[in-house]
Amino acid sequence: MIDLDRVTRQFEGKRNVTALREVSLTIAKGDLVSIVGPSGSGKSTLLNLMGGLDRPTTGSVAIDGESLANLGDDGLTRVRRDKIGFIFQFFNLLPTLSCLENVGLPLHLRGWARRKVHERAIELLQLVQLGHRVHHLPEELSGGERQRVAIARALSIYPPILLADEPTGNLDTRTGGDILALIDDLHRRLGATVVIVTHDLQVAERCQRTITLRDGGIEQDVRR
Amino acid sequence: MNDAVGSSPVGPACRRVPIALGSSPVGGRTVRRPRLLAGALLGLTLGSPALAAAQDARQIVQEVQKRGDVRSQRYEGLLQVFNARGTVSDKRWMLERLGSYGASRVVLRFTQPAEVRGVALLVVNHPDRASDQWMWTPSIERDRRIALQDRSQRFFGTDFSFEDLEERDVQQFDYVLQGEEAVDGESCWRIQSVPTRTKSSQYTRSIVWVRKSTYTFARIDNYIGDQVVRRLTYGDMADVQGIWTARRLEMTDLRSGSRTRLTLDRLQYNVPMTADDFTLQALRRQ
Amino acid sequence: MNLLRLISWPYVRKHVLRTVLTTAGIVLGVAVFVGMHTANQSVLFAFNSTVDRIAGKTELQVSAGETGFDEAVLETVQGAATVRVAVPVIEAVVDSQREGQGNLLVLGTDMTGDRSLRDYDLEDADEAIIDDPLVFLAQADSIMLTKAFADRNGLSVNSVMTLGTALGPRAFTVRGIMKSKGLASAFGGNLAIMDIYAAQRMFGRGRTFDRIDLATRPGVTIEEAGAELRTLLGPGFQVDVPAGRGQQFQAMTASYGIMVSISSLFALFIGMFIIYNAFAIAVTQRRSEIGILRALGATGSQVRRLFLLESAATGLVGSLGGLALGLLMARGIAASIGTIMQDVYGVAQRADEIATSPALLGLALAVGVGTSVVAALIPAGQAARVDPVQALQKGRYQVLSAGENRARLMAAAALGIVSVLCVAVPTSRPVFYAGYLLAIVVALLLGPILALVLSRAIRPLLKWLRPVEGALAADSLIQAPRRTSASVAALMLSLALVTAFAGMARASYNSILDWVNGTLNPDLFVSPSQDVVTRTLRFPAAMGDELAALPGIERVQRVRNARILFRGTPVMIVATDIASLAETAPREPVEGHPTEMYRLTAAGQGLMISDNLARLAGLHAGDAIEIPAPAGIISLPIAGIIVDYSDQQGSIIMDQAVYQRYWRDDTVNVFRIYLRDDATADAVSRSILSTYAGERQVFVLTNGELRDYILRVTDQWFGLTSIQIAVAVFVAILGIVNTLTVSITDRRRELGVLKAVGGLRGQIRRTIWLEAISIGTLGLVLGFALGALNLYYILQIIERDIAGMRLDYVFPFGTALALVPVILIAAFVAALWPAESAVRGSLVEALEYE
Repeated sequence: MIDLDRVTRQFEGKRNVTALREVSLTIAKGDLVSIVGPSGSGKSTLLNLMGGLDRPTTGSVAIDGESLANLGDDGLTRVRRDKIGFIFQFFNLLPTLSCLENVGLPLHLRGWARRKVHERAIELLQLVQLGHRVHHLPEELSGGERQRVAIARALSIYPPILLADEPTGNLDTRTGGDILALIDDLHRRLGATVVIVTHDLQVAERCQRTITLRDGGIEQDVRR
Repeated sequence: MNDAVGSSPVGPACRRVPIALGSSPVGGRTVRRPRLLAGALLGLTLGSPALAAAQDARQIVQEVQKRGDVRSQRYEGLLQVFNARGTVSDKRWMLERLGSYGASRVVLRFTQPAEVRGVALLVVNHPDRASDQWMWTPSIERDRRIALQDRSQRFFGTDFSFEDLEERDVQQFDYVLQGEEAVDGESCWRIQSVPTRTKSSQYTRSIVWVRKSTYTFARIDNYIGDQVVRRLTYGDMADVQGIWTARRLEMTDLRSGSRTRLTLDRLQYNVPMTADDFTLQALRRQ
Repeated sequence: MNLLRLISWPYVRKHVLRTVLTTAGIVLGVAVFVGMHTANQSVLFAFNSTVDRIAGKTELQVSAGETGFDEAVLETVQGAATVRVAVPVIEAVVDSQREGQGNLLVLGTDMTGDRSLRDYDLEDADEAIIDDPLVFLAQADSIMLTKAFADRNGLSVNSVMTLGTALGPRAFTVRGIMKSKGLASAFGGNLAIMDIYAAQRMFGRGRTFDRIDLATRPGVTIEEAGAELRTLLGPGFQVDVPAGRGQQFQAMTASYGIMVSISSLFALFIGMFIIYNAFAIAVTQRRSEIGILRALGATGSQVRRLFLLESAATGLVGSLGGLALGLLMARGIAASIGTIMQDVYGVAQRADEIATSPALLGLALAVGVGTSVVAALIPAGQAARVDPVQALQKGRYQVLSAGENRARLMAAAALGIVSVLCVAVPTSRPVFYAGYLLAIVVALLLGPILALVLSRAIRPLLKWLRPVEGALAADSLIQAPRRTSASVAALMLSLALVTAFAGMARASYNSILDWVNGTLNPDLFVSPSQDVVTRTLRFPAAMGDELAALPGIERVQRVRNARILFRGTPVMIVATDIASLAETAPREPVEGHPTEMYRLTAAGQGLMISDNLARLAGLHAGDAIEIPAPAGIISLPIAGIIVDYSDQQGSIIMDQAVYQRYWRDDTVNVFRIYLRDDATADAVSRSILSTYAGERQVFVLTNGELRDYILRVTDQWFGLTSIQIAVAVFVAILGIVNTLTVSITDRRRELGVLKAVGGLRGQIRRTIWLEAISIGTLGLVLGFALGALNLYYILQIIERDIAGMRLDYVFPFGTALALVPVILIAAFVAALWPAESAVRGSLVEALEYE
């Protein structure tokens, strides 16, 4: 489902930093994979590359057999829109939009009819047990609730791939556990490929596969 | 002009007058405003026989005037301007003057060059005030009154200023006989004249040389401060009908280096003329 | 200062573009101010210096308005005891008949006396002939040119050049060339001297002079001489120092000056908003930096000083740029003002040099810096009040507090009441203008609140239009009212200006059209110059009978018009055959009896005046007025007041017999010709032209041509203001760009999320565009609202202070409608670049951005 072939990512700046070095990796469809490693080991960079948010300096990334290398900006966006759902550490909900609107966002962007968007968004919010907070603004919600809205948004089109960057990093342990359970549950119910970046080993352990990064390379790749 | 016209030049009084050309001397009259074209153009004459030696400077000047007195006068003038670069331009005119001193009238018609042919000036002198002057311009068929208000201006592009052409009352100047000097080999009195009212003249003072033999002007140097700015010389003396007359007057502007020479041809005195020819209507007729 | 270097400079460097845009606001504001005023000054300066150079040593001038006077007056003046030299003058502006050389100012003087007043400073000194007044006078075709003009046209002494005169094109011989200084540099060197009597003929002046220049006798003061001459000549003459003409010129063009001032003020106001906007944004964005400063021990006033210094520096840089740009603009503007002065006011003018006055430049600098500092006062105050703890937390702080809103509303209400009172209580001019200013301030106070309300109001619409992009665009406006409202306010001000000017232009246009239709109904107009306003050439009265005798002509009306001084203001005298006029073009009076009015005026027992004059001078039908004329004082009652736009300052209409009696002048400026039914304009026009071919310069205008001409001139007058309008709109657009660049920075993360969750580039762009268009829309709505108010004030100003015209209040819906797409498109264009840069940035960074 996700193929990385000798992917290197360098950041240019006053000091060139190589975040990833020659990483090759394949994630199969339906896998629940966690990526762990210390700060600066390249976890987020790897995830961003998988999600088409960023492009490798060298090497190639393919999603569902489609190489991202030749895609333009909008091409990448289409891949994200149609195949990938993102969950961010800081939720990245749009503060001015209600839960419903936030969840409906990707659908509107795909040009869905309003009614259909509405139905799907309600459905998703119910799925994440927020059916009662449909019209609330993000700032009126607790951290866990916000992350659930974010998850609902990520799921809006039931994408085959779900990428989560420290989804629990900003939450207390209990809420984090709930969110993880939710992701786990969704993975199982929807059969999506899920990649979670985390530094929480407990989280990692609940995954079928755990990839450990260190200094931009894969240090360990454990399947359970 | 004042009167001038004909009479003697030099005015008597003064200097300026001298211009010889015509102006007369008449003494006595007080002229307040410039009389335009003064004598110069107009008449010219010079002295008359005279008396014996003069003693006093004022008397000498009065005698010069007196000897130039005539009833009427006619001549053809050639006016030549030589500028500093040596270019020469000529103008010719015919001048007639009627009457004596204060009551004279002068008509001056340009005959050459073609650009100015037909332009005529009429000068009517009054004994008790400034003269009236008109100019007739055939190309626009108009006469205009010439109201000359600044006498230091050049007279139509010549080196004479309007003031140089007018004549003045002897009483307006103080004269001092400074001795005798030869001019061009002739023995002359050297007389200084200073305007009694400053500001009435552009000049601070003038030195006049009068020929002792004929009581005619030989030369006048006009000063501004200590500088001679204009010098007038009287030459080609001839006895015309008993009046000693300079037939060549030359004014040099020492500041610009240009000079103007007036040559009088066919000079006649006391020719019969009628007053009708000296009116504005007559001016237009022509 | 250190703070400035340490804190501000890096910020400036980081936001180069925004800094440039902000500065551009001041640059443009100051540039307009400097450009317009410099141009205006240059024209005035050129006029004055022409007057001055022509005046030479002239100490006093005797004139009778523009009418001229009998040449006999000269002797009276010369006879005055206090006068040393008095020289008659005729001034005429003629077509130089040379491509690109424009007009030539011909000065007719009497060379026999004139040289003591003016130094012709002749070049080329074959003085015996060239500088020979005798030849010059003897030949009517003599002309003296300036070296500059001669060189430009390859002319030298004895060259022949053709000039348009009243007698048709005439060949003139160059008989003198003046060195290009002093007199010869007047009127940009386009100056020629000819003999005054030749000039009388060439310009159809009969035996009149325009003016007498004089110098007083030594020891006599100018006041003494003036007093003597006034006594000698009577009230029909003006005896004034040459500089007095500059004042008349100024009075004549005062209306233009007021317009310039109003729009310069608007431009600066708009610039102020841009600065305010920029600083408000900067303070918001740099909260955490300010918080750190405060945490490190900076006092509030240090922080305030930092921002004020920053704004002063920005203001200084911007003002300097504005000075440079303004001076560049001034040249072009001056040229067009010159054209307007000539076309509208009939005063030929050339402003070849830009008159930079240190005072103006200093003022502009001060105004630029001052505006900048004032604009930054509020933001700086806010910066000073930043709470260090709060500042270091993340969050949005742009929201207007309820308290602030309330304060604004109260202030607006209070000032609004005062402003209404100012208008309601009809009092002095300062009170009225204060009311105007207050009204604008109220609008500015309410602007942000209204902008917020409107943004909320259009959110559903935008959301309906584009569920994501629209909603987000609206939210962006709502969330950052400061960011939004300042550029909305800038736009509002420019649109208010445009709307009001458009309304005024339309109203005047309509009134003028109405007047043109009612009054200018002859079939043909016969004029000695191509444009009807130039009054330097005139026809002899006898031509009227000659024209009347031509086949096909039914009626000829002679019109003599000229400006005179009436109660110290230049107004236009229009003298014509009133009885005939009453038959052909009767006007409904504003005051007075419709037929009696004409009867009395025709009989020389009354006058008619234009309603603008009535209003400006506070006159009513039945009032007796006194008009000083060269031959005495005309004392007649006002028989009627009619609408007449012959002149901005007003007109007095009298029968030609009255005019001839009091001015001893029967020349004609224009013949109005009515044709027989069976005649065609074309045929008659041809026969008129052939009758006078080679003998006189005659232009025949058809009714349509004259109408077009008048309307074109009207357009031109308003046209000038369009420069300022364009700049105002441009500045406002800059404001939008500024706001948007900030907006995309503020929304970077939001836009990143949008992209991450599937927003295509087009969709991202669209949300920026929508934001811009929304700003445009808000600006339009508020601008039209304020414009409606502004129009009211502008019309009042016109009525009270400019032209005395009572114009109908008609909101210029046409222009407003046309402005909608213009502004929306401009806003859209303003959004293009910010949208592109929003699309471009790194997605990863955007998502991490905070």
